[in-house]
Amino acid sequence: MVKKKTAKFLAFRYKILALIFVILAGGLVLLPKYEKHEGIKSEELLSNIISPERYISTDKLAHKLINQDPSYLLIDVRDEESYTKYTLPNAVNIPLAKLLDEDFEMFLNQKQYNVVLFSNDNFYADQAWVLCNRLGYKNLNVLKGGINQWYKTIINPEKPLENMPAEAFELYTFRKAASMYFGVAYPEQYKTATVAKKEPAKKVITVKKKKKAPAEGGC
Amino acid sequence: MKELEKTKRISIASTLFILIILIAVLSYKRPKHLYKANSKITLEKMISNDYFVSLDEINNPDYVLIDVRSQFEFEKGHLENALNIYAPEILSDDNTAVFEELKEKNKTAILYGKNPNDVNAPFMLLYQLGYDNLKILTVENSYNENKLITKNTEIEKSVADVNAFIAESIKKASINSDKEVVVKKVVKKVITVKKKKKAPAEGGC
Repeated sequence: MVKKKTAKFLAFRYKILALIFVILAGGLVLLPKYEKHEGIKSEELLSNIISPERYISTDKLAHKLINQDPSYLLIDVRDEESYTKYTLPNAVNIPLAKLLDEDFEMFLNQKQYNVVLFSNDNFYADQAWVLCNRLGYKNLNVLKGGINQWYKTIINPEKPLENMPAEAFELYTFRKAASMYFGVAYPEQYKTATVAKKEPAKKVITVKKKKKAPAEGGC
Repeated sequence: MKELEKTKRISIASTLFILIILIAVLSYKRPKHLYKANSKITLEKMISNDYFVSLDEINNPDYVLIDVRSQFEFEKGHLENALNIYAPEILSDDNTAVFEELKEKNKTAILYGKNPNDVNAPFMLLYQLGYDNLKILTVENSYNENKLITKNTEIEKSVADVNAFIAESIKKASINSDKEVVVKKVVKKVITVKKKKKAPAEGGC
């Protein structure tokens, strides 16, 4: 009896095996994506973290902003309150807490722009950067020192001492001009009125010319 | 004869098949470090801001200090009883063993570096790998005559109100100049337009 039964069973053995494989394969398809392993490998992330490549200096950023480089997109990761109080020109506000919202993914995961993340220091901006880097987003930078550094170097640059090298003076001249561009006024600006006029006029040169022309004609 | 050839072919095919599978299995590399926290959980932790420790709190027997600066800096000066784990080597076997051990013993690893920004990224990496017994020491280390000076700092503290500074500068500048400038101060962003008006006036006369 038993022999007969096993013989009967063995006759189907290939079919049974095949069935098991089919079921297993079906199970694999239905398996949920293992979410925790999203993103790049941890070793790769570590090497990205260690490299200072992501940092952009305030001087470089000021230069880009003054030249109105269209490839730069600024993202302020501070909360809304600080954002409304002061932010860099044309910055988009993505509070750190909402970083992974789907609405903002198009700003972070794209290829057209060089995105610059910033906060008061670079602590929160770095955190945002690490999270995005793990997800494999490219073209992200962090403003080194954040708004504090921006204030110290661009808005309120320190005057170099007499004994400093010429580069320090050149840098100071650039920073001072930049600060005027971003709205700071200097007393001598009004006395001589030459430096000041040139600087902000950059943007609207055309308008200036138009107005000058009739004035000349009048005389 | 025919029969023999058939079995030969079958056995060759089957050994090849098994070999391929073996190679595939052997060449599969399981990632050494697996993420234990996904991005969302990590972000929540980062916003919670409950992972900071200030200098006066470190005398806790459950805390183990870890210095992530280079060995050179570490030997120049470090906090008492601190271990040195250089940030770029944080994922080496010896170092992860240290973190693993601390976790098992329920101790908290307190990371510090030159400043909080320095340990931020390593901290985040370790957190994502599942070491949730970590904190950041909010200090800034500097040297004075080769002596380490450790000071408490505040994370992300805004040093200045930029808008106020700009307004102040315009005010100061306007003291030395005529009345027109006072008007300028109010419309700070449209300065350019105003100046253009001034220019033809000067040129005309």
